[in-house]
Amino acid sequence: MWRGGFAGGALLVSVLLGLGPAAAQEPIVFGVITPLSPPGETALGQLAKRGAEIGAEYINEKGGVLGRKVALSVQDSAGKNEQAVAAYRRLVSSEKAVAVFGFIHSGANIAVNEVAKEMGVPTMGTQTGASDVTAKHYDIAFRTHAVDPPRAATWLGWIKKNNFKRVSILAETTDYGIGLAKETEKQNKDKTLGLEIQTIMFDRTTTDLLPQLLQVKAFKPDAIVNVGVGQPLDLMITQAHTVGLLPGAAMVTSYDAPARPQFWQLHGDKGVGINFVAFYSPKSELSEVGKEFAKRYQAKFNEPPVYAALNGFANALVFAEAIEKAKSTEPKAIIKALEEGSFTGWSTTPVTFPRAEGALWHNWSPPLMVLHYAAKDQTPATATVAYVLGE
Amino acid sequence: MATPLPDAPRPDAPLLEALGLSKRYGGLIANNGVTLRLARGEIRGLIGPNGAGKTTLVNLITGIETADAGRIRLGDVELSGRPAHAIAAHGLIRTFQVARVFESLSVRDNLLLPFLAAGSPGGLGAGRARLAELLALSTLAALADDRAGTLSGGQRMLLQACAGFMVPGVSLHVLDEPFAGINPVVKDTLIQLIRRENESHACTFLIVSHEMDIVRRLCPIVSVMIEGAIAAEGRLDEVARRADVIAAYLGGNAP
Amino acid sequence: MIFSTELLIQTLLSGLMVGVLYALMALGITFIYSIVKTINWAMGEFYMIGSYIQFVAVHFLLGPSWWWLAAILAAAGTFLLGLLLEPILLKPMYARPLQRRDDYATVVTIALLLLLRNLAVALGGPNQYRPESNLPVVWIGPLPQEGARVAACLFAVLALGVFWLVIKKTWVGLALRAAAQNRVAVQTAGVDVYRLDAVAFAIGVALAGFAGALLAPVFMVFPTNGAVTTVKGFEIIVIGGLGSIPGALVGGLLLGLIESLGAAFISSPYQNVYGFLLVILILIIKPNGLFGERGREA
Repeated sequence: MWRGGFAGGALLVSVLLGLGPAAAQEPIVFGVITPLSPPGETALGQLAKRGAEIGAEYINEKGGVLGRKVALSVQDSAGKNEQAVAAYRRLVSSEKAVAVFGFIHSGANIAVNEVAKEMGVPTMGTQTGASDVTAKHYDIAFRTHAVDPPRAATWLGWIKKNNFKRVSILAETTDYGIGLAKETEKQNKDKTLGLEIQTIMFDRTTTDLLPQLLQVKAFKPDAIVNVGVGQPLDLMITQAHTVGLLPGAAMVTSYDAPARPQFWQLHGDKGVGINFVAFYSPKSELSEVGKEFAKRYQAKFNEPPVYAALNGFANALVFAEAIEKAKSTEPKAIIKALEEGSFTGWSTTPVTFPRAEGALWHNWSPPLMVLHYAAKDQTPATATVAYVLGE
Repeated sequence: MATPLPDAPRPDAPLLEALGLSKRYGGLIANNGVTLRLARGEIRGLIGPNGAGKTTLVNLITGIETADAGRIRLGDVELSGRPAHAIAAHGLIRTFQVARVFESLSVRDNLLLPFLAAGSPGGLGAGRARLAELLALSTLAALADDRAGTLSGGQRMLLQACAGFMVPGVSLHVLDEPFAGINPVVKDTLIQLIRRENESHACTFLIVSHEMDIVRRLCPIVSVMIEGAIAAEGRLDEVARRADVIAAYLGGNAP
Repeated sequence: MIFSTELLIQTLLSGLMVGVLYALMALGITFIYSIVKTINWAMGEFYMIGSYIQFVAVHFLLGPSWWWLAAILAAAGTFLLGLLLEPILLKPMYARPLQRRDDYATVVTIALLLLLRNLAVALGGPNQYRPESNLPVVWIGPLPQEGARVAACLFAVLALGVFWLVIKKTWVGLALRAAAQNRVAVQTAGVDVYRLDAVAFAIGVALAGFAGALLAPVFMVFPTNGAVTTVKGFEIIVIGGLGSIPGALVGGLLLGLIESLGAAFISSPYQNVYGFLLVILILIIKPNGLFGERGREA
């Protein structure tokens, strides 16, 4: 009996010794939910993934978080809400993720936040624009992207700068599209900009926008705001040319799709003259760590970093910093650290997540501008800056 | 005595040899070691009470179903286990009790298909000539361009039989209850057709039928199937006198 | 919403043009079903393969002026692929008893769907591509149409014509029509019905591949571009009747028109709903479809 007790104690001690360092060796899991297959916006998803991967490498080189390495678990949302939600559940319950980011589609982010509210692990929208991602004021919801108000303000500013009077908005019937269309109309009224606005909504999966574009043509707009994401955006550009709207009217896309590498292959000459909302131009100022990221990205992928990648990188770093500050991986501790702290991102402005009004809750806004492609094969680096929000 | 060359068909060798064919469906033994030999050029009758296994035997021989045991040879060719279309292509064809024709196709197309399927040997002209001949013999010439679906039951049976004759090199034609439920005029036409093909093309026939008077007219020899096996073979009048055959038809046991 | 005759004509035109392409897809599905008696759920993936072949042929090999040759190559390539796959995947189905056959075919064709889709992602990446098209905008009266769309429609009609010729005038077509009516009788006529299955399958998927190739410059090339066409194809099958060729054509045109008219004149965001409403209507009043017929197995 004595021997049994001694053996039992020795076993217990050795198990504890064995567990202790082993537990400390276990990596911290960051979940990345992003569109990597159609019908999602795969170009952006891949960029966000790249950024996150470089971010994890960078963190681990600098010693990891709380002495542990960071492991990324990348999940494909395919742009579908249900798939994103399933991924989040998997990440939190089986893989014990302590942070989830990478979202590109607002719908997916919003759907996941409803579940995150119960499960507790905080999320960060990498490039999701719809208000409801943060406007519901959930503790777990964070975002590092432009919300509808500043975004709509950007193209409205560009429109005013060019003295356009008649504007058509063609928006997809997703959270994103509906939100932006409404916001644009609201700001036109609130700020009495005096614009005549035509709003047309369409189904994201439509194969033909000619009926809608004919209505736009009949309206004779000076500017067209393209609020499609992925395929509808491209379809609109193509068919606007078919109908003869372009190159006459000025089209602006609601996000930086023309910054994608495939843009010129898809559109050729028809891409010339496009305007797009961008959140980063290679001419923008980068922070020290941002410059480091840009260098690594260029070396690894042979092209300068695009906004989605920058944010993917920054999200990883911000979560790592927050966990260090909180000295814990407990969700509530991380959330508190995020709210109270000031973090370094890729831009020179510090990243904060105040408990602010409306959609600005837990939100950091990047700089916003409108870029213009005047000639074929231009990139964001060589594009003209047509307008900067706040100028 | 000179041994016959392996390739030359021996004139006294049977055209069809079905040896020991057996088939069971679950607990039911439909064919129990059936052995049947048909000589070249003969018109054999296959009779027997309902449920004796006649249609199963026909299905086994023509490849619609696979036997559990036994072998089938047609001339020198081993047909056991071959798929139905290959067996048909070798010249062993059949008609079905409920005539299977292609209803939306014309009578002409129904007849042309087997010829085309065999690769139109001798050219399309030869095929059309044969087609014309059969249309005349079967009295279906007037209906040549009508859809087969519009034909009466008897006419369909004629069409089915003629479609079989369109297969180039048909050597054995198995007819499953061809006379059931058709009118006497059509019956006569069919009998003429069978006789004609038998005489001019040496086509062998195996005819399953319940119509004893036709069997008597057409078939010099009949085989009687009882409970899955061949019970007797010989002239109809002789086998009809046997006690076991009578008992089988009447349903009682032989005393 | 601004109503005008211009808009009406445009809508009708768009509807008919897209309807013809839908009809090609539906024709493939229904034709395969009429011979092989199974529904090929992977139809959209053959559309996708056709579009990839088109892109590779135009972008890397032939250039945009030879787009029509590339499309024919795409159809041929898809045909060969179908010829190869059918004996491996579907033929074993006939060894199984009748009741399990549909289950087997469903599982196998869905598995094929997933395999092909993921293969596309693995080989080409999830990105979109577009074969260059230098076809000019076509003006039909006062209305513009993308050159590529008009060409797609014309060539689709051509494909339908070729299909009709093959079915009506060749002996293979005769054998196929016979097999569709009575599978056993066609065997006893000496026709190898398993080879016929492979040919029917190959023809069906070649139609889908051709549609994919023709529409590649319009709807672009990416791994899931076939998914929507599969759904539309099946809507049309229900509307037109499974196994009916005129049903596929009429159903395709009808669906195209209804979607187009509904989107333009009732409410655009609900475009897909109109097709589904029509499906429900047909299911209620004519469950076998407009031209539906019940075929005989044997």
